[in-house]
Amino acid sequence: MTLTDPRPPKAPSGPDGVLARLLDHPERRSRTALVAVPALALLGALVVGGVLMGIEGVAPLSAYGEVVRGVFGRSRGLSDTAVVATPLILLGLGITVAYRARVFTIGAEGQYIAGALAGTAFATAAPLRELPAAVLLPCAFVVAVLTGAAWSGLTGWLQSRFGASVVITSLLLNYVAAAALAWAVRVGMRDPNAFTPQSRPVAALPDLTGTAIHLGFLFALAAVPALAAVLRRTRFGFRVEVLGASPEVLAVNESRPATTRLAVLAVAGAFAGLAGIVEVAGVTERMTPAFATGYGFTAIIVALLGRLRPVGVLVAALVLAGLTVGFDEAERVFVIPSATVGVIQALIIVFFVAGDALSRRKAG
Amino acid sequence: MNTLFTLATLAAAIRLAIPVAVAALGEVLTERSGVLNLGLEGTMLFGALAGYTGARVGGPWLGLLAGLGAGAACGAVLALLMVVVRADQIVTGLAFTLFAVSATTYLFELSYTIGEPPPRIESLSMAPLVAIVLAVLVGVWFLLTRTVAGLVLTAAGDAPGAADALGYRVAQVRSAATVAGCALGGLAGAMLVCGPLGLFVQNVTAGRGWVALALVVFARWRPGRAVAGALLFGLCDAAQLRLQGTATAIPYEVFLALPYLVTLVALMVRARRSDTPAALAIPFVRGRST
Amino acid sequence: MLGIRRGFGTGPAALDGVDLTINAGEVHALLGENGAGKTTAMRILAGLDRPDAGTVAVGGAPVTEFAPRALRERGVAMVQQHFTLVPTLTAGENLAMARPSGRLRPPARQVRRRVDELAARHGLASVPTDVPVGRLSVGEQQRLEILRALDADARLLILDEPTAVLVDAEAEALLAVCRGLAADGRAVVIITHRLGEVFAGCDRVTVLRRGTVVCAGEPVADHDRTSLATRMVGSAPTAARSRVVRASPDGAVRLRLRGAALRRLQPLDLEVRAGEVLGVAGVDGNGQAELEELLAGVTGAEQGTVWVDDAPVPVAAPRERIARRIAYVPADRYRRALAGPLSLADNLELGRGPTRRPPRPRREAHAAPALTEWDVRSTGPGAAAASLSGGNAQKLVLARELAAERALVVAAQPTRGLDPEAARMITERLLDAAAGGAAVVWFGAELDELFAIADRLIVLAGGRASAPFSPPYDRAAIGMAMAGGHRR
Repeated sequence: MTLTDPRPPKAPSGPDGVLARLLDHPERRSRTALVAVPALALLGALVVGGVLMGIEGVAPLSAYGEVVRGVFGRSRGLSDTAVVATPLILLGLGITVAYRARVFTIGAEGQYIAGALAGTAFATAAPLRELPAAVLLPCAFVVAVLTGAAWSGLTGWLQSRFGASVVITSLLLNYVAAAALAWAVRVGMRDPNAFTPQSRPVAALPDLTGTAIHLGFLFALAAVPALAAVLRRTRFGFRVEVLGASPEVLAVNESRPATTRLAVLAVAGAFAGLAGIVEVAGVTERMTPAFATGYGFTAIIVALLGRLRPVGVLVAALVLAGLTVGFDEAERVFVIPSATVGVIQALIIVFFVAGDALSRRKAG
Repeated sequence: MNTLFTLATLAAAIRLAIPVAVAALGEVLTERSGVLNLGLEGTMLFGALAGYTGARVGGPWLGLLAGLGAGAACGAVLALLMVVVRADQIVTGLAFTLFAVSATTYLFELSYTIGEPPPRIESLSMAPLVAIVLAVLVGVWFLLTRTVAGLVLTAAGDAPGAADALGYRVAQVRSAATVAGCALGGLAGAMLVCGPLGLFVQNVTAGRGWVALALVVFARWRPGRAVAGALLFGLCDAAQLRLQGTATAIPYEVFLALPYLVTLVALMVRARRSDTPAALAIPFVRGRST
Repeated sequence: MLGIRRGFGTGPAALDGVDLTINAGEVHALLGENGAGKTTAMRILAGLDRPDAGTVAVGGAPVTEFAPRALRERGVAMVQQHFTLVPTLTAGENLAMARPSGRLRPPARQVRRRVDELAARHGLASVPTDVPVGRLSVGEQQRLEILRALDADARLLILDEPTAVLVDAEAEALLAVCRGLAADGRAVVIITHRLGEVFAGCDRVTVLRRGTVVCAGEPVADHDRTSLATRMVGSAPTAARSRVVRASPDGAVRLRLRGAALRRLQPLDLEVRAGEVLGVAGVDGNGQAELEELLAGVTGAEQGTVWVDDAPVPVAAPRERIARRIAYVPADRYRRALAGPLSLADNLELGRGPTRRPPRPRREAHAAPALTEWDVRSTGPGAAAASLSGGNAQKLVLARELAAERALVVAAQPTRGLDPEAARMITERLLDAAAGGAAVVWFGAELDELFAIADRLIVLAGGRASAPFSPPYDRAAIGMAMAGGHRR
């Protein structure tokens, strides 16, 4: 049917919709439009949040004032925000790579856990843990990154070999990772000196001098321009774009889509694994059953709000982290249900999805 | 391993399987029509909250009804976004679930005063719940295999172009399937709360909606197998709960991971998805080839 | 149908001023080459498309609503080349969906009886009803489509290239069925490009050429193969194109196929020399797509070998293909050659370019001279490829593929959908490539064009290649070869 019809297709082939149109060359659309929808979504969510708080009997403006003070007014406000933002940035960057290629993995959570597990296991294993931290930690990081990459790459392999959708397989692997975590803290890596199930402590990441921010934040910050450069200036980045635009054009002119897809997933998993070990070494010190806090899913929101661009991811992560930290503080002063910040964050993405879809419909 | 398979374990397995089974049945309907509903977990949560609230007002049966209604409402919203507006199904579903986790916690906290434990509700015993599961199973099975509506639903998921050429409105079919599937999801959440559990806590569904999603793939989109799969999950769940207390050679976490691993393997054995609805998660636009 | 006009985008209209009359009780053949407009006209009649101008009347009453359901209710049914059956449902289920008799599905036995009766009534072999349709043979699927149309009591049945997917025996059976249906008082339209069928089973014939009617509903008995073939491909070209005089190629053999076969393409032997332009003519669906894929290394041959410069063509390895200096200008340029959302500069980089890419402004500056040299009109190297018109898009593809000296140029329908000026430029550049020593294989739909540029011409029909023709080209013989069509 298409061979005799020279009309160009009206839209990129494949799943249409918010995500696809999101990827319609952000470069080519004006900056303002790009930022407007997420900003408005944020504003809308804050307004609704304010209304909710008002119903509770809390004056919204005072509450928000407290939120802002919690971040900017306290001595530790900014550093807390940076620490919370670190895993979000790293995870968000990984998801950005995948989603730009239209590989919709939702396994970041599992890769995060898997990477953290592997790195922690390495760093707390019997002979190795005697090594000096300066040697042990970097090695543990490498192990974590490779494990995350493999956990993610597995879904890519399953798709090439068996046609199993990455969406489903990545979701399933999240659960497997969670089970592995449960076992590891109870038995596998259990700290014999602790009463409750947890792993031995891992050597801590040093803080940046003079601050309460651990080194991981620096990694995250450095990763932003690094990834931007890779996406813009390397062959791999080029293939990511082409795969997202048209797998067939990629196959005929540049490289095998399966190979590129695998590479993309491996990169995404690597970022997730790094985020995991950074969180252990920088924040929690050891792995506990409560390690999985859903960062993997929040990071998807971060990536989308950030319009799948590294700088956007950084901004979105900082904003969401700031909200979390600020509300934490505000809850000490006002009686705000702890679920409020979660509702606001969730509203941001709901408004964003709806707003973006509507803005597209109006445009075309 | 006799201790594993006592009647008590079996009973626990059934109890744990019930909500998952109903949710999975609902998702079978939705996915067969071509819509991938990642908002199932969120729908179950809303259903659970509605069930709890309804039960407090007028007893557990009212709770179940409320869950059904809440689910349908979620379905309407999701259908609007995913089918009519054609927003990306994966993103929308995920966003909805994330929203639901926070929203239900928030709404629940509104409804009771801090310091007092939330009231327990009168709960239903297992027998009526099992009856409901069987009724839903028969209903879904009958719809899919014996009615023309079921044919049209399958066509919407496998070959929407053909259905459209025959004059059926694919968008309407998919919307209806989404609403129905979500209604069952809401019912499942309500059954969880109004059943032997008897109360609501934050994130009470604890990922059962995701389990149901995986179950649908495992069951190859067939209702009977979905219920069987739910039972398998329930068994693994009951086994791991049981093993938690005892010291055995097999770590109970194996049973935690087992259902998902089995599903993964099942995806590998049958190469080249022949059972997946061909147009799953692909919005239908007349004129595009499908 | 009166005065029908239908255009798509820029370029000449697909149908222009088409008048067509089909009577009850006859089998009517609609004949023509690729792009002649046959399918377009029938799609309009079946309600799958609407005309830009003109009127359609069915059974005396004019058609106001162009939707498949509406036309089906008027008794018009079309069996297209791409079936509209649901492959995972059984035959019975497909029928039940089309014409439900109540809310519930009838039991299997009833369905089987219904299908058998239907088949028997119209002289068709029946179809298994308990197997998913996707597993039926193509012939059976087609029968099912026809049965479904008959179940809805179609009075006007349109079959689009029905014998393309059938073996001889099945094709004959089908024609017999059509005659039977006509005898029953219905009208049957068969869209085809095969003369054999026209003479085997049709009463009247209409020939379309380039969107206009060149032979309107004349009785088949009044014609013979030659006269119809001539009508199909036209007699002397309206605008006589002089043959481009080039030095006769005597270079080394650059492209060599030995027994190469893939899907519909039967084992093929072929040799093309450096500097030679080989034209490949034939109606779509006779192996051209397969040959195109073999030459470009998109798919590997199921049998035989494809060699360029004494080494096999790399399969599924685009960068190696480019390194071997094989240029590929695909027929489906928007699906295979250009990534719409990416910029012009990016598209030029596909398959080429260093691992470390320079920053965007430098890349775009680098691309600008190529755009000027190839006269690609756009808003700049940063514009999205999807924003280009057909002609400019094709120039962009050539700018990339012909940037350096080539060993083999695979050009599939390179001038399709282009305005004359763009087409002329494309043609010139391709001939330049040949002059530079490349072997050029040019798949074309328009015989005039092929006659003007090809040193030799082969015709693909039924998956087989004819013996090569040399200039001066015998139009009638080539037309016959195209319309011959061996069946599988």
